[in-house]
Amino acid sequence: MVNENKSSVAVVGAGPGGYAAAFLASDLGLNVTLIDPEDNPGGVCLYRGCIPSKILLHLVKIIQMAREADALGIHYDEPRLELDKIRSSKEQIVQQVTSGLGFLSKKRKIKYLQGKASFLDSNTLQIKLNAGKEEKQSFDHIILATGSEAVSLPNIKLQSSKIWNSTDALNLKNIPSSLLVVGGGYIGLELGTVYSQLGSKVTVVEMMPGILPGVDRDLVGIYTKHSERYFENILVKTKVANIQEESHSLKVAFDPESGQANEGNYEAVLVSIGREPITNDIGLENTKIEFTEKGYIKVNEQRQTDDSVIYAIGDITGPPLLAHKATHEGRVAAEAIAGQKSAFEPAAIPAVEYTDPEIAYCGLSETQAKENQQKIEVAKFPWGASGRAATLGRTEGLTKLIIDPKSERILGVGIVGQDAGELIAEGALALEMAAVAKDLGMTIHPHPTLSETLMEAAEVFYGQSTHYFRSKRKKR
Amino acid sequence: MIEEIKLPEISENIDTAVVIKVFISEGDFVEPEQAIAEMETEKAVFEIPSPVKGKITEIHIEEGQEIKVDQLIAKVEIAEGEAAPPKTEKKPAEKTPSDDDKKEAKPEKKEAEATPEEKQSPEPASAPVSEEAKPEISKEITPGKPVPAAPSVRRLARELGVDIRNVPGSGPGGRISAEDVKNFTKRTLSTESQAPVQTLPDFSKWGKIKRELMSNVRKITAEHTASSWATIPQVTQFDQADVTEVERFRKKYGKKVASAGGKLTVTSILLKVTAEALNVFPRFNASLDLQQKEIIYKSYINIGVAVDTDRGLLVPVIRDVDQKNLIQLSVELTDLAERTRNKKVKPDEMEGGNFTISNLGGIGGTYFTPIVYAPQVAILGIARSSWQPVVTENGFESRLILPLMLTYDHRIIDGADGARFLKWIVEVLENPFRSFLEGGRTW
Repeated sequence: MVNENKSSVAVVGAGPGGYAAAFLASDLGLNVTLIDPEDNPGGVCLYRGCIPSKILLHLVKIIQMAREADALGIHYDEPRLELDKIRSSKEQIVQQVTSGLGFLSKKRKIKYLQGKASFLDSNTLQIKLNAGKEEKQSFDHIILATGSEAVSLPNIKLQSSKIWNSTDALNLKNIPSSLLVVGGGYIGLELGTVYSQLGSKVTVVEMMPGILPGVDRDLVGIYTKHSERYFENILVKTKVANIQEESHSLKVAFDPESGQANEGNYEAVLVSIGREPITNDIGLENTKIEFTEKGYIKVNEQRQTDDSVIYAIGDITGPPLLAHKATHEGRVAAEAIAGQKSAFEPAAIPAVEYTDPEIAYCGLSETQAKENQQKIEVAKFPWGASGRAATLGRTEGLTKLIIDPKSERILGVGIVGQDAGELIAEGALALEMAAVAKDLGMTIHPHPTLSETLMEAAEVFYGQSTHYFRSKRKKR
Repeated sequence: MIEEIKLPEISENIDTAVVIKVFISEGDFVEPEQAIAEMETEKAVFEIPSPVKGKITEIHIEEGQEIKVDQLIAKVEIAEGEAAPPKTEKKPAEKTPSDDDKKEAKPEKKEAEATPEEKQSPEPASAPVSEEAKPEISKEITPGKPVPAAPSVRRLARELGVDIRNVPGSGPGGRISAEDVKNFTKRTLSTESQAPVQTLPDFSKWGKIKRELMSNVRKITAEHTASSWATIPQVTQFDQADVTEVERFRKKYGKKVASAGGKLTVTSILLKVTAEALNVFPRFNASLDLQQKEIIYKSYINIGVAVDTDRGLLVPVIRDVDQKNLIQLSVELTDLAERTRNKKVKPDEMEGGNFTISNLGGIGGTYFTPIVYAPQVAILGIARSSWQPVVTENGFESRLILPLMLTYDHRIIDGADGARFLKWIVEVLENPFRSFLEGGRTW
């Protein structure tokens, strides 16, 4: 029952943005209804994205480490894969985290409706429950968090069970002997890494001049060199012109920007060329919501749409399409609805590619600075000089800081190397707190850890790194 | 091509200026360096030159308006064949031949403008502060250069209704602390609420009245004097010097100084004497840091001289007075006073004074009590000299007597020291050899 005295909020979509918004709205005393087709909150991230992919990446990391141990005098037999068991343990972990969210939702007395909602007008939702019933309900505010879905290749009409999207790949139906990954973004590279370790010969094809477009090339370069072991081939500046079904494989025609058109046969093709916002079939035409040119929902700093009672968060409001960005937006929207002076104004949204090695970055990149013609200084600490990296046998990494030469403020951080994703949070904190390079350099970091590379990169800026010699920087 | 003319960085701690005069109208053609507007700050009046040759297409300021650093003043459509001035002048690697040509063609930048020129170019990415305050589109997040404040501080600013981008940061790299936000809010509130403190009667009841906006100089003088009066326990010490010989000296060498382009005046002589006195009594050349509970001594002797202008009282500063001879000081003072009156003085020429001399002798009066110009700790006042009968061994003698007043900050200077300081000056005026006994720059 909706308590008449409390302001009521419906959250449509229970991904990391939606459930975070619902939980905080409830904590702030609002009457919350959370609507999602799944059993429990979690959304794509927990059911078909971040979490299952990280489970698989963890499993294959064990395989890789066992292989690397060989050189150190520890010998394992080749792994035997029990796919059923892998699948079920993966599902068990997903079940565990999502039911945990269900529990947290119940504890907060959030009304969880399993079903799909669409707008009848700005305040009113038609909710089609999975159980079959339909109900109509009005709310003071609605937070829209329907997320995004994978884009399929626009020029390929072929329907085939051998053409996968990321969800299919995560389902681990079979391990194809050969796999073509279309799209060299982080999703394709992560899943490509998984299948390569599970035994597939993996080829990556990317339309742009390089994989991981937008990421600083020095970071990508180090990754590309190390990842050669995982991929048969990485084709860049190449389009997929056609896919034909054959008896046991797919015949893929490539159209490279330069050179001859050619073909290849693959047992499966994973399409990971991007994601698009889910804004259709939810009755947005019955609201005053406006869209951006790229089809995302227009919102202000509070994540409020042009229809003032409706807020929108997460992937539907535009890039970066990342869970943690959605979560933060969800919390901002909940606070705004509760009357707090909240705004979405991050200094940094960290991004992590869970490849091997990992790439993580936040804030300004060298590439962006160049585009903006912004004056920066870059301080790099190569992991060859890190004791911890040496003990791990992972000296290929690099930590770099993008620094404003005048204020010495840290404007961006980029890391490639093992556990870069865990290290980047310190960079994000430095950016949010407007740290200057001195702050980072003067913070004692535990030894021996990879986190020291951040401190030492700051010291490099002053030409005073303990473990890396660089002649003093010129006086401005 | 359209070139935007913005208010350049003026000097430290000054981020706004008032438009005094706009010299151009839309459609006018301007030459490089042609003045397009006259601006006034608390420290100076200066002109905004056009950086290029071209036609004024838009004017965004009006007389009397207060504008911020970086605010758009006007747009110029650059004349055919004229390239925009090289934006990246400082990067030699990126220089192209045409940049070089352009640079030569351009008259050399005046010193005062060198800073703004540098400040303008490096940050094309940062959006103007006032425009687009409410971006309502979900534009992609471009990290660029966010406000240097922690998330909690940014939230505090929102709660207090303060635009954090207007808050000056006191931390390293300009970082804005919660304290900065609170102080900014307090300051804003207090300036807003100052007016109603004093309720004025309706003067027009008794006759015709006329209201006039206070000029910036007036406002600043009002603030400085009021805060000096309210915060500094000041004592004024009087003395008088027999300057008969000084006057003789002045007459004798006045021509020599004049031929160098200066005027040998009582003020320039007292500049020299005071500089020596400050070396002997370093406490008068100091400032108080109450927060740190420390006295800041200065090794340099920079002395401000109060200049009466039609805009009000201004205090340009002569640097390293003790390192200059009397001719140099006289020439510099003549020039500086002249430029101050003609609004040609640069803002940084009004900064960095350690002590002030105020000479009202040219006008008249016997004594007055100057007030300390904080954060300085003392000020020397000079009134009009007059011939007076002085009793000597030989009976009465007619001597030229100069009244001197020293006001000092009693928190740092004791009465005895004040008396000694002024006595020293009197003795040196009466017998310049006295100054050779001690003093000189020691560190």
